[in-house]
Amino acid sequence: MREKPLVDLSQYLPILLFLGVALAISGAFVVLPMIVNRLTGTAKPNPDKLAEYECGFPAFEDSRAQFDVRFYLVAILFIVFDLEAAFLYPWAVSLGGIGLTGWASMMLFLVELGIGFAYAWKKGALDWE
Amino acid sequence: MIQLIAFYLFAVMVVGSAALTIFARNPVHSVLWLILAFFNAAGLMLLAGAEFIAMLLIIVYVGAVAVLFLFVVMMLDIDFAELRSGFARYAPLGVLLIVVLAAEMIFAVGAWSAGSLALSQRIAPTPDEIPNIQALGTLIYTRYLFIFEAAGLVLLVAMIGAIVLTHRARGGVRVQNVWQQNKRRPQDAVRNINQPVGQGVEL
Repeated sequence: MREKPLVDLSQYLPILLFLGVALAISGAFVVLPMIVNRLTGTAKPNPDKLAEYECGFPAFEDSRAQFDVRFYLVAILFIVFDLEAAFLYPWAVSLGGIGLTGWASMMLFLVELGIGFAYAWKKGALDWE
Repeated sequence: MIQLIAFYLFAVMVVGSAALTIFARNPVHSVLWLILAFFNAAGLMLLAGAEFIAMLLIIVYVGAVAVLFLFVVMMLDIDFAELRSGFARYAPLGVLLIVVLAAEMIFAVGAWSAGSLALSQRIAPTPDEIPNIQALGTLIYTRYLFIFEAAGLVLLVAMIGAIVLTHRARGGVRVQNVWQQNKRRPQDAVRNINQPVGQGVEL
């Protein structure tokens, strides 16, 4: 068995840079107000300051809140069409080499999911109310 | 060198977050650890040279499947004390599962070390000169056409099943009828009258 060479990771350096910048900015949003708070001498912690504002929800409660099953329907429809889009990428890249068969196979796939889409639309699954 | 460091980093993170997925007491935390495991598995795929699979892991598993898991965890009203009380009852089944999984792993390692399962003997070996998204595309839509269409049918069934199970028409809702709205013309709604002075308006 022939060993494949390891992937050249230097091509992923831009992604690493993006991650670093994102981490730095999000960290700054957390830390900077705290520093400014200390320096300007207004750090007077008070339980009322952490209370929810007017009609807001309590910030700290059980993370398992029950909610409507309709969210689930939206999520599963999203997954189905997400997968459909994921299948489109390799098809689009290799379309030059796979000929009419490959093109027709994706068209059939799209029709299959189009039927599902028409069904969802007709049943009103896409309407919220 | 840097590949080796990255591999061990990702591998340790995958195993660690998978263990925490099992051991976390709060199921929502379990799902969050699972998402971290997905991310690191994507990193491992990247190291193995399967960029498309790695991106698919991020898009599909992190973006959609993990969210669905979160929904399911939140939607089920589970009594955890009751869930744990059945431990003794389900223990034989659990032991059976452990034995089956362990046997599978032993067989897999044994077959691998017997040397008959070399990766180069695959039906469709990975071509070197084209990116693997293109290599996948040339196989999925031609050689594995029927499996691909069957996958489409499975998705269709999942969609229809989800709608049948969870969708229910709500009474007393006034749905917007776009066709009716667009069909309506100004002459249906507006009337110009030349109103004489000193008389009432007839509506």
